[in-house]
Amino acid sequence: MLEGEAAVIGLLGVTKTYDTPAGAFSALRGIDLEIRSGEFVAIVGKSGSGKSTLLNMVGGIDSPTSGAVTVGGTAIQSLPPSRLAGWRGRTVGIVFQFFQLLPTLTVAENVMLPMDFCGAIPSRRRLKRALDLLGRVDVADQADKLPSSLSGGQQQRVAIARAMANDPPVILADEPTGNLDTPTGAAIFRLFGELAAGGRTVVVVTHEREAASAVDRTVTIVDGCVA
Amino acid sequence: MTIAPRWRKVLRDIGEAPFRTSLAVLAMAAGVFGLGAILTASAILSREVPKSYAGTHPASATLLVDGVDDALVTLARKVPGVGDAEARSVIRGRLRVGEDEWVPLILFVVRDFDDVRLDRFTREAGAWPPADDEVLLERTSLGVARAGIGEIVTVSTADAGERRLRVAGSVHAPGLAPAWMDHVVSGFVTWRSVMRGAAEAESAAIRVVVTGDRLDEAHIRGVAGRVRNALEAQGRSGIRIDVPPPGRHPHADQMDAFLFLLGAFGLLACALSALLVANMIHALLIEQVRQVGVMKAIGATTGQIAALYLGQVALLGGLALAAGIPLGTAAGRGYASFSATILNATITSDAVPLRVIAAQIAIGLALPLAVALGPVFLASRLSIRQAFTQDLAGRSFGSSAFDRGLARIRGLPRPLILSIRSAFHRRGRLALTVGTLAAGGAVFVSALNISGAWSRAVAEEFDARRYDVDVRLSKPAPSELFAKEVAALPEVERFESWPDISAAIAGADGEAGFRLSLVGVERDSRTFEPVLLAGRWLGGDDAATVVVNQGLMARAPALRVGGDIVLIVKGRKVAWPIVGVAKELDPAPIAYAPSRAVLEAAGLPIGTARSLRVVTRRHDSGGQLSVSRDLERLFRRAGVGVLAIQPLLDRRKAIDDHLVIIRSALVFASALVLLVGALGMTSALTLNVLERTREIGVLGAIGAAPRTIARNVVFEGMLMGALSWCAALALAVPVTWILGTVAGRIFIRSPLAFYMSPGAAAVWLALVIVLSGFSSFYPAWRAGRLAVREALAYE
Repeated sequence: MLEGEAAVIGLLGVTKTYDTPAGAFSALRGIDLEIRSGEFVAIVGKSGSGKSTLLNMVGGIDSPTSGAVTVGGTAIQSLPPSRLAGWRGRTVGIVFQFFQLLPTLTVAENVMLPMDFCGAIPSRRRLKRALDLLGRVDVADQADKLPSSLSGGQQQRVAIARAMANDPPVILADEPTGNLDTPTGAAIFRLFGELAAGGRTVVVVTHEREAASAVDRTVTIVDGCVA
Repeated sequence: MTIAPRWRKVLRDIGEAPFRTSLAVLAMAAGVFGLGAILTASAILSREVPKSYAGTHPASATLLVDGVDDALVTLARKVPGVGDAEARSVIRGRLRVGEDEWVPLILFVVRDFDDVRLDRFTREAGAWPPADDEVLLERTSLGVARAGIGEIVTVSTADAGERRLRVAGSVHAPGLAPAWMDHVVSGFVTWRSVMRGAAEAESAAIRVVVTGDRLDEAHIRGVAGRVRNALEAQGRSGIRIDVPPPGRHPHADQMDAFLFLLGAFGLLACALSALLVANMIHALLIEQVRQVGVMKAIGATTGQIAALYLGQVALLGGLALAAGIPLGTAAGRGYASFSATILNATITSDAVPLRVIAAQIAIGLALPLAVALGPVFLASRLSIRQAFTQDLAGRSFGSSAFDRGLARIRGLPRPLILSIRSAFHRRGRLALTVGTLAAGGAVFVSALNISGAWSRAVAEEFDARRYDVDVRLSKPAPSELFAKEVAALPEVERFESWPDISAAIAGADGEAGFRLSLVGVERDSRTFEPVLLAGRWLGGDDAATVVVNQGLMARAPALRVGGDIVLIVKGRKVAWPIVGVAKELDPAPIAYAPSRAVLEAAGLPIGTARSLRVVTRRHDSGGQLSVSRDLERLFRRAGVGVLAIQPLLDRRKAIDDHLVIIRSALVFASALVLLVGALGMTSALTLNVLERTREIGVLGAIGAAPRTIARNVVFEGMLMGALSWCAALALAVPVTWILGTVAGRIFIRSPLAFYMSPGAAAVWLALVIVLSGFSSFYPAWRAGRLAVREALAYE
């Protein structure tokens, strides 16, 4: 990170331990990491290394056993559960490996759903914004269809549009290309690159080695530690 | 109007799974329907039956006098506290329904058909008023009399002999029990009827209604006492006062027991429906867990998620109300109409009170929401990580000793072992499903148990009566007049002749209280030995001792074994020790005493009989009827007046007919429960398959044939059915006990004997097996049809 530039994401001494029937399992062991605004970062590592757990810490999906996580100046662990969901909706957009679009809502409705929950966008502007976002990810023509009629790549584009619904400064993606073919995966990475170029901070967990060429920085996790 | 996306999701989730939605709506609608039908029937009956009865302007008291005329009635009307009075004598006799076949007849002598003031009746069909050689029959009597309007019937009274009367028309008398129930024909004749003049057969009476509190028995007795004093001042003597239970329809006890059972089963059906709804909501949320995670990840709060699913439940509840309320109302009205016929009441309005609709709406919405609160609360509080890993059980199979015990099961085919372990893996879910079915089974079995307990009570009653034909003479007669002839009848094995007389219980003030039958039991009688609730039966050495029945105990609760009962017999007080309490279904008060003591108290010579208990050689219906006809001819030849000759099987049928309404309530409740239980089983198994779709895919991927998968599902259904059957039997024990105790206390003044019917258990087992098979069919078919790829991709 450049000296003097503020980090939008900061992890300090973060550990995470799970109790399992086989005993305690440490997924993260003292992670220190800072990511600055507009940076496009790939988190890579073997299966079970702790990279998804790390992403969950940043998104407020999981809480650390010890250490501190700060996103956009907010110490996540200081947020009461009642405020965490609203904070997440406005601050972080999340993209999943299996898209996770709600099957009974149309493409446009899926994008409008986070606006509906957070109330940050006035209701009269939500449909237009959803169509704009779908246009930015090249699926505006699919707006009225149900997710099941879209290809995997199209569904992931919709998921990215949904992640941007409330205009969050941070986009987190957990293996977003893991379920896509190579050309489609490359197109998704280009899309993330454009978002980062537009000023958003994008953090992607990936297995793909080619990702390294598309991102600003690669963070490798080995056995719960930054290598 | 723009609908927010989250509410569109709710609407589409409902529309997307029509089968599941239908099941959920049906489950909720079944509860609303059951409750609605029962509340509607109860509301209409509890309003209309008393109204119908009150509309007759029932007499508060009847004064039996030696003769009645207009002057006497005018005098009675002037007594302070008397609202109105009317002469209404009663002629008891019989009506011929076949060759030597008669039924008991009660003829009410009406002073003026155009001015009926008390115990009113209304014209149904035919003439009004009848001519002096005609009779109007109560509408329910036409069938029992086997006569139609315009036909001639033969009636017989003790002194007037046989007479022919034309049935001029029919009337409705809501204050009388239906004739088919009591097996007694009721008719109305004019003041100058050809039937009058038989002093022995006619009881002259003045009926009075009091002013002030008409439900206060002491007040009524006070006013009736003043009327008697006024009549005695005119030189009348031997006046008896009869006060029926104030404000009570003759079949009020039956209606109370019936309404109690309906109410109890209505609540049970509701509880069952609630369990079913809880089951479905639980399953729905399990299916939606991943979506809960997604919505939380994109910013939904716990409150928003909870509101979403509670909204969905409320919407389903609304649909259920739309279906359940009209159907429940229609069923309730139909059932009320049927029950009113049984009670001989007329329903003038089947309007359903708003409170009944309001209760259905409240229950239809509140109950599903209440049972949904727990699962919705848990689901909406799930963390995103838990939602994505579907880590709901919070434990893995094998972490408990029970799991490890299951894992040690050997010797069964592996797919079956898988079914058993799968069923027990989610034990909360299994408990809910089995609990739902068990609750249904318990209600069903309890309904049949109660029905069985009534049958056993009736059987017990008739086991105590070891005779076949009951003869009641029109007046006490020396038994030597007929004893040899009766004993000589070829079909008669033996008989006993008993005296029985009317007596009154002496009140604390020494005045005569309510009337009762004092029955003289022959020494060492072999024809009657009732079941005793307390004390002992009469012995051969007893002089003047009494066994009271429970009907008498109910009217005079202060009586007890070891104490004395003070009776007024023929104007004379006698105090006899009570040695026992007999259990009898008949609520009429009866005291049994040695024959000699009764005759002495009544001042009658030894050997006087009022009734005969005849034992026939054949105890079947044919044997009883044949002897009845022989006795009919014999008494006619001997010139002995007969009030009734009744085969015991006819009497048994009369008691069984009194239980029709209670049995119908039980059948109604059972049918309702069966409907809800079948729904429960089908939905539970369908949702189980949905939950295990991925597991089914894995089975297919490793080589399980569709038939094997389907068989596993059916087996799982059978397993749940079997478990629920065991639980249902255990649960039926307290339910049966409570219902039997309360219903028995209302109707026969003592708890029904606890009875677990093996037949009921067997019927429910058979039904559970059939239901399991039927309910498993769709899920099994669905499981067998799932493509492996589709199943593995299922989320």
